Amino acid sequence: MSGSLLFQSLVLGVLLGGLYALLAAGLTLYFGVMRVVMIAHSAFLILAAYLAWYFNDQTGWDPLLSLFVTVPLFFAAGVGMQRLLIARLRPATLTMMSVLLTFAVALLIEGMIGLIWSGTQRRIQLPYSGSNVEFFGASIAVVKLVAFVLAGASLGLLYLLLTKSRFGRALRATIQHKEAAQLVGIKTDRVAGLGFGLGLATAAVGGTALALDATIYPSLHWHWVGPLMAIIVVGGLGSVPGTAIAAMVLGIGQSLLQVEFGTTWAQTLFYIALFVTLMVRPQGFFGGRLAQRF
Amino acid sequence: MPNASDTERTLVAAATAPAGRRVPARAVRMLAFTVCAALILSWPGLAPNPYILSAGVMVASYACTATAWNFMGGFTGYVSLGHAAFFGLGAYGTGVLIRDLDWPPFAAWLAAGVIVVLITVPVGIAALRVRGASFVIVSIAFVLILLLVAQTWQDLTGGSDGLVVPRPFPDLSRPEHHRAFFYLFVALLAVMLLAWWAIDRSRFGTGLKAVREDEDKAQALGVPTRNYKLVAYLISAFFTGLSGGMYALWFGDLDPIFQFSVLLGAYMVLMALLGGVRHLYGPLLGALIVGGALEYFELEFGGTQLHLVAAAVLLGVVVLVTPDGIIPAVRDLVRRFGPQDSSIREMTAAELLAHNRASGRGGPPPDEAPDEAAAPGTGEER
Repeated sequence: MSGSLLFQSLVLGVLLGGLYALLAAGLTLYFGVMRVVMIAHSAFLILAAYLAWYFNDQTGWDPLLSLFVTVPLFFAAGVGMQRLLIARLRPATLTMMSVLLTFAVALLIEGMIGLIWSGTQRRIQLPYSGSNVEFFGASIAVVKLVAFVLAGASLGLLYLLLTKSRFGRALRATIQHKEAAQLVGIKTDRVAGLGFGLGLATAAVGGTALALDATIYPSLHWHWVGPLMAIIVVGGLGSVPGTAIAAMVLGIGQSLLQVEFGTTWAQTLFYIALFVTLMVRPQGFFGGRLAQRF
Repeated sequence: MPNASDTERTLVAAATAPAGRRVPARAVRMLAFTVCAALILSWPGLAPNPYILSAGVMVASYACTATAWNFMGGFTGYVSLGHAAFFGLGAYGTGVLIRDLDWPPFAAWLAAGVIVVLITVPVGIAALRVRGASFVIVSIAFVLILLLVAQTWQDLTGGSDGLVVPRPFPDLSRPEHHRAFFYLFVALLAVMLLAWWAIDRSRFGTGLKAVREDEDKAQALGVPTRNYKLVAYLISAFFTGLSGGMYALWFGDLDPIFQFSVLLGAYMVLMALLGGVRHLYGPLLGALIVGGALEYFELEFGGTQLHLVAAAVLLGVVVLVTPDGIIPAVRDLVRRFGPQDSSIREMTAAELLAHNRASGRGGPPPDEAPDEAAAPGTGEER
C-alpha cells in the first residue's frame, strides 16, 4: 500500500468515523435514558435518507434543506415513541422487550419504505456529486466532506447542549442515576422522552448525510445495525465519549482494511472487535458502572 | 383468581385421598393431546393439494425452530434474535457435507448438528459474558457476520447463486417428498418437545428458570449460572441446527439471504412469544398462527413488503399486549369465567379440615378462609 493511498483511506476513515460517531451518540442517548437498545435507529437513518431523496426528487432543491423538516419530525417521533411505546413496557423485562419492540419498528419502517417507494435502489444526483477536493494530496469527494461537516457540527451541538444547558444537565443526571435525579426534582419521564427525540434527530441528520453519497434501498439498514451495535458495545454502553472514540477507531480501521481486502471483509472488523471486546472486557473499553449489567 | 385455585390445587395434591377432580382434567388433557396429535399427523391426508401440503411442511419447520429457540429464550429469558445463524449453519453444513464429501444425507444432517454445537461453544462463551441488551446485540451480530461470510465465500456456499442440496429420496414424487418431510419434521418436533418437557421438570430446568427470574439471586444460591446458560444455549443451537439441516434436505436450495436472515430469527422469537415462552406448546401454537399467516401472506400478496409490515405489527402488538403469550392469557380467561373458579366453594369447612389433616399440614390461618371464599365472587363481578 503506497503512502498516498494510505493517507487517502485514513482521511476517508475519519470522515466515515464522524458519521458513525454521530449515530452511535444517538444510540447511547437512548440507552442512557431508558436502558433501551434501539434496533430501529438505523431504520430511521434509512428513512431519513429516503425522505431526503424524495424531497430532492420532488422539489429539486438541495437535500440538505430537508433537514428542516426531518429533524423536527424525527424529534417528535422519538418523543412519541418513548411516551407511547417504550414507557408502556414492564420495567422488569424492559431491556429485552424494548429490543423486540424497536426491532418491530425497524421492520415496519423497512416494510413501509418498500411499499411506498418500492425496493428500487435510489440515489440523489447533485451538481457537486462528482467533484472532489484536494487535501494534502488526498482527493476527497465533496459530498463526503459535507456529510462529515454535518455530522461534526451536530455532534458539537449535541455536546454543547448536554454540557452547557440546563436541559443537558438534567439529561445527564437522568442517565447517571434516575432515582437521584427524580429526588432533585427532575421530571425524568419527560427528560427521557426528550432524550429519545434527540437520539432520533441524530438519525435524521445522519440519514441526510448518508443520502448525499450512498445508494439507498429499504433493507440497507441491516448493514448499519451490526456496525453501530458493535461500536456501542466496544465503546461501552452508555458512554458518549467512549462510543465516539470507538466509532473513529473502527471507522478508520474499516477504511484501511477496505483497501486491502475489499468492502465485505472490512465489515467483519466490527464483529471481530465486538467478540474480542466481550472476551477481554465485556463492559466495553470505555464503559463504566452502567455497562456491566446490560 | 390465581390465589383461590392455587390453594385448591395444593390442597388437593397434598391430600392422600384420591383426588377425584384431577382425573377429568387429566383425561381432558389427554384427549386434547390425542386429537391435536391426530390432526397434525393426518394433515398430509387432509391437504387438498401439494402446495398446501408444502405450506404445512414449512409451518412444521417453523414450529421446530420456534421450539428450539425456546430452549434458550423460554428457560433463561435470554432473547436471542440471532438463532437464524444456527439454522443457516445447520443447513449449509448438511448441504456441504453431502455435496463435497458424499456423506449419506441423514449422517450429514446429524454431523451438521454437531458442527453447529462446536461452533456455538466459543460464541456462547463470548455472548453469555454479558446480559440483556448486549446479548441480543451479539446474537444479531453473529447472524450478520455469517451472512457476510456466506455471501462472500462463494467457493464453499455458492454465494447468492445458491447451493443445491441433493434430495435424500430421489425416487419419491414431489407430493410424496413433502409428505415424508412433514413426518420427519413432526418427529423432530416431538423429540424437541420431549426434551423440553424433561428439562422443564429437572433440576437443570429449575436452575435455568431461576436465571430467568433473577440471575444474581440464582448465582448467590449456588446455581452454576454460566454453565447452565451455556448448556441451554448449546441445546437450543443444536436443535435449531437440526431444523436447518432438515430444511436443507427438504427444500434443496440454499441462499445466504434466506438462511442467515435476521428476519427468520425474529420470526422464531415472535412465534415463541405469541404462544407463550413458558409453556411447552407455546412455540408450536405460535408457529401455527404466525407460520400460517406468513404462508397466507406469501400466497395473497407475493412479492410485496406487506408481510414485513404484518409481521412487524404483530410483533409490536405481542410485545405490548401479551408479552407472556396467548396460552397464559387464555388460561387466565378460562380461570376467570370457567367452572374451576368456584371449586373452592364446593368444599365445606369440614372437608377442608379433613384434607388438611390428611396432608398433615394443619389448617390455614382462620382469617384466610373467608378471603378465599369471597375471591371467586369478585372474579365473576369483573
